[in-house]
Order: sequence, then structure tokens, then C-alpha cells
Amino acid sequence: MRRQLRSRRAPAFPYGYRYRLDDQDEVNQNYLADEEEEAEEEARVMVVPDLEEEEEEEEEGKEEEEKEEEESQAQETGSAWWRKWQIVNEYLSDPEKRMSLARTGQSWSLILVIYFFFYASLAAVITLCMYTLFLTISPYMPTFTERVKPPGVMIRPFAHSLNFNFNVSEPDTWQHYVISLNGFLQGYNDSLQEEMNVDCPPGQYFIQDGDEDEDKKACQFKRSFLKNCSGLEDPTFGYSTGQPCILLKMNRIVGFRPEPGDPVKVSCKVQRGDENDIRSINYYPESASFDLRYYPYYGKLTHVNYTSPLVAMHFTDVVKNQAVPVQCQLKGKGIINDVINDRFVGRVIFTLNIET
Amino acid sequence: RKTEIYSVELSGSGDIEKTDKGHDKKYGGLKKNCLERKTHQPKEELKKELDLDDHKLSNEELETKYGTNIITGLSSTRAAELLARDGPNTLTPPKETPKIIKFLKQMVGGFSILLWIGAVLCWIAYGIQYSDDKSSSLDSVYLGSVLALVVILTGVFAYYQEAKSTNIMASFRQMIPQQALVVRDSEKKTVPADQLVVGDIVEIKGGDQIPADIRLLSAQGCKVDNSSLTGESEPQPRSSEFTHDNPLETKNISFFSTTCLEVSAPPAGTATGMVINTGDRTVIGQIASLASGVQNSKTPIGIEIEHFVHIVAGVAVSIGVLFFIIAVSMKYHVLDSIIFLIGIIVANVPEGLLATVTVALSLTAKRMAKKNCLVKGLEAVETLGSTSIICSDKTGTLTQNRMTVAHLWFDSQVFVADTSEDHSNQVFDQSSATWASLSKIITLCNRAEFRPGQESVPIMKKAVVGDASETALLKFSEVILGNVMEIRKRNRKVAEIPFNSTNKFQLSIHETDDPSDKRFLVVMKGAPERVLEKCSTIMVNGQEQPLDRSTAKAFHTAYMELGGLGERVLGFCHLYLPADEFPATYSFDVDTMNFPTSNFCFVGLLSMIDPPRSTVPDAVTKCRSAGIKIIMVTGDHPITAKAIAKSVGIISANSETVEDIAKRLNVAVAQVNKRDAKAAVVTGMELKDMSPAQLDELLANHSEIVFARTSPQQKLIIVEGCQRQDAIVAVTGDGVNDSPALKKADIGIAMGITGSDAAKSAADMVLLDDNFASIVTGVEEGRLIFDNLKKTIAYTLTKNIAELCPFLIYIIAGLPLPIGTITILFIDLGTDIIPSIALAYEKAESDIMNRKPRHKKKDRLVNKPLAVYSYLHIGLMQALGAFVVYFTVYAQEGFRPSTLLNLRVEWEKGYVNDLEDSYGQEWTSYQRKYLEWTGYTAFFVGIMIQQIADLIIRKTRRNSIFQQGLFRNKIIWVGIASQVIIALILSYGLGSIVALNFTMLRPQYWFVAVPHAVLIWVYDEVRKLAIRLYPGSWWDKNMYY
Repeated sequence: MRRQLRSRRAPAFPYGYRYRLDDQDEVNQNYLADEEEEAEEEARVMVVPDLEEEEEEEEEGKEEEEKEEEESQAQETGSAWWRKWQIVNEYLSDPEKRMSLARTGQSWSLILVIYFFFYASLAAVITLCMYTLFLTISPYMPTFTERVKPPGVMIRPFAHSLNFNFNVSEPDTWQHYVISLNGFLQGYNDSLQEEMNVDCPPGQYFIQDGDEDEDKKACQFKRSFLKNCSGLEDPTFGYSTGQPCILLKMNRIVGFRPEPGDPVKVSCKVQRGDENDIRSINYYPESASFDLRYYPYYGKLTHVNYTSPLVAMHFTDVVKNQAVPVQCQLKGKGIINDVINDRFVGRVIFTLNIET
Repeated sequence: RKTEIYSVELSGSGDIEKTDKGHDKKYGGLKKNCLERKTHQPKEELKKELDLDDHKLSNEELETKYGTNIITGLSSTRAAELLARDGPNTLTPPKETPKIIKFLKQMVGGFSILLWIGAVLCWIAYGIQYSDDKSSSLDSVYLGSVLALVVILTGVFAYYQEAKSTNIMASFRQMIPQQALVVRDSEKKTVPADQLVVGDIVEIKGGDQIPADIRLLSAQGCKVDNSSLTGESEPQPRSSEFTHDNPLETKNISFFSTTCLEVSAPPAGTATGMVINTGDRTVIGQIASLASGVQNSKTPIGIEIEHFVHIVAGVAVSIGVLFFIIAVSMKYHVLDSIIFLIGIIVANVPEGLLATVTVALSLTAKRMAKKNCLVKGLEAVETLGSTSIICSDKTGTLTQNRMTVAHLWFDSQVFVADTSEDHSNQVFDQSSATWASLSKIITLCNRAEFRPGQESVPIMKKAVVGDASETALLKFSEVILGNVMEIRKRNRKVAEIPFNSTNKFQLSIHETDDPSDKRFLVVMKGAPERVLEKCSTIMVNGQEQPLDRSTAKAFHTAYMELGGLGERVLGFCHLYLPADEFPATYSFDVDTMNFPTSNFCFVGLLSMIDPPRSTVPDAVTKCRSAGIKIIMVTGDHPITAKAIAKSVGIISANSETVEDIAKRLNVAVAQVNKRDAKAAVVTGMELKDMSPAQLDELLANHSEIVFARTSPQQKLIIVEGCQRQDAIVAVTGDGVNDSPALKKADIGIAMGITGSDAAKSAADMVLLDDNFASIVTGVEEGRLIFDNLKKTIAYTLTKNIAELCPFLIYIIAGLPLPIGTITILFIDLGTDIIPSIALAYEKAESDIMNRKPRHKKKDRLVNKPLAVYSYLHIGLMQALGAFVVYFTVYAQEGFRPSTLLNLRVEWEKGYVNDLEDSYGQEWTSYQRKYLEWTGYTAFFVGIMIQQIADLIIRKTRRNSIFQQGLFRNKIIWVGIASQVIIALILSYGLGSIVALNFTMLRPQYWFVAVPHAVLIWVYDEVRKLAIRLYPGSWWDKNMYY
């Protein structure tokens, strides 16, 4: 056996392939036993590189050769399909040579072990990477906030397409807005706000120095600030009368401070079409602005009870039975509301279609 | 056996019977094979041709048959009619696949079909979306169009490359228009040869190419060179006599495209013939059409690429379908699932790879063209590298196709003459007085002359009027003695008997240039035994000695020895006529022979052979050491073939044929064990009687084989036999008779200078300098490009996993999509292109010429270790590295990995404009989109950085990078620079173009993946180290690709 193997590797051997075919069975059977010895032997012998390639070929070609073998046997016995099935079967498991998928059990377990260790070390590497990553990132303050600036604007009640279509006389068409608003405003209930948050002086930033990891206090924003749109007096937020309330909030950004001076104001108008489609809007709080005391925001982890300030728009007189596109913009120093690609930065556009 | 000595008559018709017998053998095979092959490959044309009976007809019958007149020729109008009927007298070029078909093939070949499916799925997805929601985004349409564009662009590119390399060949087909002298309307006219029609009377001069198959009407001492048809170097005599039933052997027919070497004297040095077949109906035309009937098989590299495409497409489709099913069962919309499917396909298909392979191949093709190997189809570039058997024609390929003086025998000694291409080094002893006499005979008894006006041409390249042997002698003496014409002038010729078949000698009488010597000198050359008969003395060291038994024996030994070398031997003798009997005024009459023709003094022997090209033996040795078996296949005689085979090393010095062994052991041939003989010389006759199994056995059991006396069909059979051995077969040849085999071979190699057009058009490669050694270059380049393509493919496949994983993670873990389809295309067709081409410039790792040719079924281009290592090792490491960059970007912007999990649905809702991140910040949908694109860019940069490491590690498969030299291949660095520059442009230059989905990435993110790149490099070095340390181990088998 050993001699044959070696002779197969001899470079000058002229008819290697043919002889190799003949030897193949024997090789397969003795392969395992010889594997280690062979490796040692070859290391000692210092073989020319290309010869190993050949060794590999055998491994590679094994399956094919088996097929060839099979084919010649099966030619007498059965149909093409049966032959193919046999080949596949043989490939999947070959009890004679204790092999499956053209490898022996030992070979398979070796592969499993090696891959286990390889992937385990890869997992260790990625764990290490992620660990290092977290070490460099503060849990209180995002590393960069430019992407989320300037602040976006969002309205409530929540409507998928920002189209407010409802029929005043059919409560079913607006009931879900009411539920949505009620749900949203639960966190703003006066009792809750008074219990959790502090009443801080208006017109100035509510800056809380101290360690990053200290819990921060939040300023009260009471539901009652929203007056007619608080749902306290009119539990239908005006929807039952065709005078819907829509709440507007500015997206939270850690560390964002509107420029001092006049606070950020909200103003709505008809986006396209007749300006007079909206004859009057009431804003609550009446200033239609976000007070500076609600800024800055210190992040979820420490600023637990922070509630975003709101501005409620009460569309008290809107043309009925037609879609009115409304654009509400933030206005103030340092506020951008005309980004072409992003229609929710500093502004929000929605349509009101109130049917009677 | 008598045939052992291949003594060939000097010129002329020789003994008819013997030649004819030989011819029978030669063409018998052809006839029989025709019949045999008819069942599966209708080759009836050749059979039909054999029914030709024009050679049997008398001139009158011919005139009636073709409606012509031997004196006046055809009328111009009749000729025009016939031309219209039969078409021009040219060989129809092999049918070309229409360009549009070729183009369409490029459009659907390879991965294109997968990408088309992707594109169509995109459009379908949009259609469905559109029917649901009229305002749905055009993203899918956009992607679909990009995919279609990619397919079309790569298709156009591949087509262009292929067309470019085909165009080089087209120039070959533009033959120089040949002219023919034809008698029409009783006038001699010169017309282009393609205007000839049957019945035309043509006149042929020495040196002309025969313009069609012609029946000779009158010819004197006409000789043709049939080597392009049969491979014989010896000129064949032609006359107007009908000598054989078989039209192929009879002397009165000569064939299209063979060359008329010489026509002696009356009338006016021309031969007249009647055209009996034109164009494709000629014998040559039929062989050429036999060649075009042979299907072009796929090139080995074509098969490998197909195999690789199948693997990759299989992986792509199965992962795609698997995840489609997973996605559907995870309650994704079918529409979304289709989009995932497209993403997976796009990620998995290396779009740029086939274009890269094309470029790599065309670079090699260019490199080879510089070394005078012109390759027709790009894929043929690699074929020589895989070649395991070369079947070489002898004449014109291994040999120079011109008779050259090889040995001299005088003073009872054999001298070796220089047979190299320029004869520059004639070292034999020229001091002997015998040589002086011999050289005089050689010079004087010779009718060949240089054509005038070639003063500046080197002697060996000068054109000569005269037959091959005389030419050889003329050039030989010109080189040694200087101006032969001047010598002849000084020794004025007074009478001459030209060679004829009965005399078998040539004689001429000269005055001597010694003014004091008034004797006439009679010089004679001819068949050695015939010359010896006429001699009574022999010259030794300038002294005449009586010709006794021992000297006669020495003569015979020398004659046998030289004959046994396959050389054509000539004897030379002279006689000084006594001045008293033959005074200066004596009038010699060659008809009555009024001078003595016996008792000459024998001077020496001279033998000639068509010598091997000087570069061939070295090339053969190199091919041998590269594990390539060289088989000689020739139409020539076995003895000559064997001699040439021995002299070039096709039969090595110490190997014997069965016959040799039998002779050595003094036993019958049948008693010798065939396996003992390494070499074998097989004639066409023997081959004819062999079954395919016997041929297989022959091919398998002998490493050195010479096939002699083979017909074009038999060449085909031999090539097929070799291919049955799973060998990749190269065939070299120059003649029309080689063209079917050239076509059948995996790679046909034609000679550029001596090669016929039929051979060139059937071949895949043309050696422009006719240098067999260029084949070695071809093998080397082919092997190198195969290795380098492996590297290129490994490099390209690696990143597929890094491109694929994002999709899988996206589907399963619901992360925002880490990399977009368009971005993937920018990697595949942008940053990765130049680096992967750069790998084609990589130098070989070890001596590729010292290893065996690859086995076409076992050493695949893409094998399991390559796929596994690229996909599951480096690919995964790359994916991890890229994910780290991705997570870093998201985490620093506010989305920690934990938040990202299952965020996908909310993330992608366009109406959610206040999505909270890990810090409680709220993001509008566009802000998220922009962040997603930043993620794409980050992932892209991550892959790109790691691909640099991948590129470096792929420089070698076994050696350490430091062994290979990090900076030796400068192009690699150009590739790396291009990668970085393209990425920089994409991010910072085009970052503002929304449609491309790139954003300006913070500079620090470019370095996040660097440690991973280093890790990849280190890991690969460890792998290579383990392979080098433990060759043959499990690791080596599974990790060496």
C-alpha cells in the first residue's frame, strides 16, 4: 500500500490516472489508518508542492469515481433512474466504506470540531468587538446627533396616511381618533404630571447639571394646558362638531435646545389651494409655542418622566366636504422647515376632509 | 526487411509499382474510414470523390466531358456561365455563427439568466405594488432596470472582447489573390484563381500553386509538393500519364493548393492541365469541409466556468428559495419575500466576475500574441495549460519543411553537417582533398539556381528554382564555398544528362577552371548503389584507390546507417576524361553517350533530411517535464518519422519500440511483451486494423508514440482516442490534411508562416513564428492563468457571503437593511473589478512547468476547498467585520444593536416619523432612511477594506505573501488604490446623489474594519503555514484550493 501510494506521487510516472483508478478502493479503505502516518511521512520526505495537489485531487475526485464505478455496475442491472438513485444513495451513506456524503464518520467529526472552534473564536472576536464598541459609547448621550437634527414634527391622532377623513354624523368614522388622542394624553394627565414632574419656571432652559448618570427631573406639561383640545371638556376633541383637534409635537433630540429668545412657534395654513378654506385655527397653549423650559432633553435613561411639550391645533372653521391640505410649520430661530426630501422636518402636512 | 532502408531516388518518377503500393496504404485507410464513419457522420463527399475517373479519360474524352478545347480553351461566355453555375473557385469559409446569435448568447449565458429573473421579479413586484397602491415607489422598477442594464453591459462587454479577438483572425483569411494563367478564347490570359471553372485550360510554372484540381495534359519533369495534403516532404513526380486507378495516386492529377515545384523544359517550362474540380469540390475542399463538419467542443476553461456558474447559481437559487420559504412562513408578505429573493440573488451572483475573467484571458492572449502565439477564441488561452497530450504533425511543424544536408561520408568517415535554420556552423573537417572533389561535384552536378534579384536575402531564405534536394545541395555549397554561380561559370558545362527514372543518376560534363588542365570533368550523382556500380575506384584522402571489398563494405555500412536515420542518401563520383581522347573541341552527345559512363571514381555520400527545427528538442524536453505526452502524427514514412522523433526527443534516446527489442533480443516481434516497450511506431495501415479498444491500449501503454502514414481521418481518430483517455489534446499542424484534427482537438495549433489557410482557420491558436517552442510559452501562460483565475474567483466569491449575510440577518433578526442591492452592485462592478483583474498579473508560486497537467475531471477551477474556504471562512469573517462597522455607525447615532433587533417593520413604515431610538430620540422616516444609507455606506466600506486584505491573501495559495513578495505585482497596488479611490468618490463625491444610496461617512468609520482585515491576513498566513508544514494532512486536503 505504502509503496503504491508513493509511486503514485512520483512525478515521472506516466500513466498516473489509470493506476490511480485501480488503487482507489484500497486507498479509501486504508485511508484513515494511514492518514496520520502519511502526514508525518510526507513531512519528512519534503515533497514537492504540486504533488500534494494531487493528493487532494483524490479526495475531490472520490465521489466522482464512485459514481463511475456505480454506473458501470448498474448498467446491467437497472434503469437510469434507479442508477441515479443508487448513486445518490451511495453518496449520502455508504455503509460499506462507513462513509456518508463522501466522507467517513471520523472525517465528519473532525470537520465539526474544527468548525466549532473556528466559529467559536469568530464569535469571541465579534463579542470582543461589540464590547469595545459599547465601552466607547455613553449610555446617556448619543455620540452623534446631527442625523436626527433638525427636529422632525409629528401629529396626533395617529393616521396612517395623514388623511383625516371623517363624517361628523357618523361617530364610527372618527371614534378611533378620539381613542388615539385619549390614549396619547394619558401621560399628560394633570394628576400624573403634578405627582411626577416639577413645575419649572417658564421662558428659560431647564438645565440640570450634575453627573451624567443622575436621574433628571422633568417639567410638567399638563393636559389642561390644551384647553378645548384636552378632551376634558369636550371628550370628542371637537370631532363630533366638525372642529377637530390635532396635537403637534416636536421630535425629541437629546441635548437639543431651541435658540434662546422667542420660543419655537407653530403655525398652520392651507398648503395648496384657497387660503380661506381654513378660516380659523385656535392654538393651545395660546402662544402656539414650545416653551424653553422643556429643553434640553437628557435622554431616556435618566430623563425618565420627560413628556414632550405639545401644541394643539383646533380647526374651528374649516371648509367641509372637501379635502383641505394643511401644512403646519415650526417657526423660530434655528428651525429648518424646508428640507425638500424630508417632509417631516420642522413641518407636517396632512389633509382634513370633514364631511357633514 | 528491405523497407528498413529508406533510400529515395534522386528525383523523377522512381519505381512506380513501389510508390503506388505505398499510396495504397496511405489512402486505403481514408477510404475505409469514410465508410465506417458514414453511419454517424455522413462524409460521403470523400467517397464520391474517389469515383472520379477523369484521370482514365483520354484528352478527347475530357474535351467532350467538359465541353472545352485543349488548344483554344473555353470561351469567355461559357466560362462565365460555368462560374455562375459552380460559384467561385474558393473554399467556402466555415459557417460563422451569426453575430446576433453570438450576442444573444452572451445575454443569456452565465449568470445573466439569474439576473434577468431578478429584473423581471422586480418589475412584477412593482406591478403588484402598483395595482395595490398607485403611488407606490418606483424603487423596484429602478432596481430591475439597473439589473437589466448590468446584464446588457456585461454582455456587450464580453461580446466586444470576443469579437476583438476574432477580428485578429479575420485578417488571416484575406489571402493574397492568386493569379492563374488560363487559355480562353484561344488566348492566354491571367485571371484571378477564383474565377477558374471546370474545363479551363491552365498553364503552370515551377513555383506556382496549383489553382484547382487539374488533370495534367502535358508536363515534363513536373514535380509537386503534396506536403500540405499528405504531409510528405518529398516532391511527387507528375506527368500526363495515367498511372493508377486511384485518382489520388495517379500521376496525371494534381491537387488544389499543392505547389508545383518544378517543370522542366519543353514546352517553355510549363505544364498544361485541365481544371476538373473547383472550390469545395476539390480534394482539399473536401478535407476542409470534413474539418468544418467536426463540432467544436467546449474549451476546458469554458467547462470550468460553466461548472463554477452552476455552483454559484445553485447556491444563489437554493439560498434564495430557502429564505423565500422562511420569509413566507415568518408571515412576511409574498411581495416582500420576492424582494428578499432578488436581494439574495444579487448578493450571491458575482456580476463582474465573468467580465473579469474575460479581461484576464484577453490580457493573457495579448501577452501570448507578443510572444507570437495568436489565440483565436479567448477561452483557448488556458487550454494549452491543461493540455496533457500534444499530437504534433511532423512536416513543417517539428521540421523545417525543407531538405537539408545532414551527413556526409567521405574518407570512410561520417561527418555531421549543421542542420540548424541558418547553417552557420559547418564544423566538419574540410581540409581533406576528397572534400574538395566532393564539393566540386556537389556544386557542378546541380541544376538548381537562385532566382535573380535576391542579393540582400540571407542564403537560407533565398528562393530557388529546382527540386528540394538540389536546393538543399545548392544552399549547402553556397554556404560553404561562396558564390556557386561563379564557380559554375568558371567550370562551364558542356553537356548534361538530367535525372531520369531509368538511369537514376544525373551527370554533367564540365571544363575545369584550372587553365593548365585541359581535361573535361564528368560529375555524377544519384542513388548510391547505382553510382557505386559505375565506379571502379574510390577516393580516400584525395588519392584514388581501387574499390575493394572492404571499402565497398564500408560504403554499405555508411549507406545503411544514413538510410536508417531516415535520410535521403546520394552518391557522388567523378571522372576526369583524358585530354588526348577528349580534346577541348570534342562534341559530347548525351543521346548516344559518346563518353565513358563507368570506371568513375567514387568520392562520397551525402545524406539529406528535412531537419527538425532547432528549437523543437528543447521544447519537447520542456513539455515532457511539464508532464505532457507528445505524439507524432504524420503522413510521412515511418523510418523518417522515427528518425525525426528520435532527433527531437519524442522518442527518447534510451527507449525502444517493440521492433527494437525484438531486434536486440533476436526474437520475433510477437514474442516481445508490449509493455516493455516505451516507444511505438504505428503506421496508418496498422492503425486501420485497430479497434478503438486496441488504440486506447496503445495510447495508454506507450509514452512515446509515432504514427506514420496516417490519413486526415486517422489523425481525427487518434485525437478522439486521446480524448477518450480524459486527456486534453492539443494538435499542431500546418497542412490541410491536419485541419480536421486541428478542429477536433481541444486546441488546434497552426503554423503561421508555413500553415495553410485551412489549417489556420481550423485552429484555435496560430504560432506566428512557426516556433514550436512557443507552445511551451502557451502551456506556461495557460497554467498561470488557470491558477490566477482560481485566485480571482476565490477573491470575488469571498465577498458574496458578506453581501448575502445582511439579507439573511435582515429577514431573520429584523435589523434595518445593512446593505442595499444597488450598493452591492457598486462593490461587484465597481471597487472589485480592477483588483480581481490585477490578480491575473500575479507571478507563479512555484515552477508551474514542473508539474503535471491538471486532470480535467478532478482538478476543477472551483473546487470544494475553494468554495468552502471562500464562503465559510474568509467570507464569514468579512461579514462579521462589516457588521461591526454597521453596528458602530448605528450605535453612535443612537440605535444600539439591542434596539435594532426586530426594528425592521417600524423602521420601514413611511408614516412613522417619530421612531424612538435607544436614547429616546425620535427620528423621522427620512432621517432613518438617511441613516440606513449611511449604514449601507459603512457596510460597503467595511467590505471594501477587508477585500483589500482578501486581495493580498489571494496572491498566493500556498506560499506566504512574504515569500511571494508583497510589492512584486505592482498592479495589485493599483487595484487597491482604485478600490479606495472609487469608495472615496462614492462616499464623498456622489454621497449627495440620493438615488445611489451613498452618504458621506465619517472618516473614522473607514478604519473600524482594519483590525478585521489584519485578522483575515493573519488567519490566511496561518492556513498557508499549516499547509506548508503538514503537506498531505487533513488540513492540506481541505484547506488548499
